[in-house]
Amino acid sequence: MPALPVDRARLIAYLTALVTFSFLTSPLWLGAGLAAVLALAGRQGPRLLRRALLATLAFSGAASATYAALSWWTQHRLPLDWLLAANLRVLLMALLTFLFIARVNLFRALDFSRRLTFLLTLAVSQSLGLRRTLDDFRLGLHSRAIRPAGLKARYRAAARAAAWLLDRALANAHESAQALQSRGFFK
Amino acid sequence: MIAVENLSHHYGGQPTLLDLGFRLAPGEKAVILGANGCGKSTLLKILDGLIAPGAGRYLYDGEAITPLRLKAGGLRRRFRQEVGLLFQNPDVMLFNPTVADEIAFGPRQLGLADVDDRVAHWAGKTGVTHLLPRAPFSLSGGEKQKTALAALLAVEPKLLLLDEPTAALDPRSTGWLVDFLAGLKQTVLCSTHNLSLAPELAPRALVLGEDHRLLYDGPIERFLMDETALVQANLAHIHSHRHTYFRAPAHHHHPLKKGVVEHRHFHTHDW
Repeated sequence: MPALPVDRARLIAYLTALVTFSFLTSPLWLGAGLAAVLALAGRQGPRLLRRALLATLAFSGAASATYAALSWWTQHRLPLDWLLAANLRVLLMALLTFLFIARVNLFRALDFSRRLTFLLTLAVSQSLGLRRTLDDFRLGLHSRAIRPAGLKARYRAAARAAAWLLDRALANAHESAQALQSRGFFK
Repeated sequence: MIAVENLSHHYGGQPTLLDLGFRLAPGEKAVILGANGCGKSTLLKILDGLIAPGAGRYLYDGEAITPLRLKAGGLRRRFRQEVGLLFQNPDVMLFNPTVADEIAFGPRQLGLADVDDRVAHWAGKTGVTHLLPRAPFSLSGGEKQKTALAALLAVEPKLLLLDEPTAALDPRSTGWLVDFLAGLKQTVLCSTHNLSLAPELAPRALVLGEDHRLLYDGPIERFLMDETALVQANLAHIHSHRHTYFRAPAHHHHPLKKGVVEHRHFHTHDW
């Protein structure tokens, strides 16, 4: 039996770990998982942890705050256990994902399937294009800001960029699907 | 007004600009010509102080410009007021709720007293007065381009950097832009890969080659007559094509004769 390529083995390990972490509810176990992933990350650990913390704050922060406010309003108590476990789980999964992206060549991991490679290529090319445009949005504001842009201008520029990216991503996805369809991909 | 000395830039380990050197005098107008991916947009972003060159220097009015140096308040304020960049995709520079707010953004930042007058003046000049209450994102590509241009001009910059300004314009708007730019007193550096339009935009060409070096700097007409340089810059190509022709016979009461000739020669396409 041929040996499993390293990248594919790491992909399987990543998916398995992701499912496992989703079942963990004890903050102790989740903390242990975080320590293990940080140990695996080695010198990249602090940088990846910072990115994971920012991602957790951005995506889980609003949900946590809303849930806490609702609990306080209806039950006059804060669900601290739930908030701790949920945010630790999101942080652990984000950290693991960032480590996975840094260490694994997804193209090699998915090269067993032509379709998955096609989809990955589409996703990567779209995200690179969108990232370039996102950079341009940042530079566009910077270029026009005679004084450092205030909070209102930054908020408006970020909102405009988000709306543009969403529109463009939807349009691109629709067009890509049509292009694939015209080449018989979904048949 | 600007001096570029031995300027190079790399992105992702690949060169985007190599060892560029040129100067632009106050009031001068020039076009940057080059095929896609030769570094035109990167050069304009460096000249707008948005990204740093990897090597070499860029001087504006004798002052070295880098994103780091522009963090200083005095230089930043002067440079950002005097230099405006029109991005290839105008969407990236429009973020205010209305076209009027968009044009007023710069003058308000400067704390000018005549903001409304400036908005009315530049909206009129660029033909967007009827769009003033509209949201910029709801405009067509050409209307966005005009709004972005009005927003830049409202702070009366001395140097205008334009990245493929005709890319999103229909033929009528393109004609308008050519006339509009010709009437401006500002120094203008404008990138394009549209060869037929380039001589209308400026008398001087800076041509970037596919090796990311400056291939030519001089009168645009001379460059356009040099087939070798055009092919080298990937701005012209050779391929065979067919012409259909009609030939009038000696006796006019006979119908015209139609024929086809096929041959190969140097050729440019504008798109």
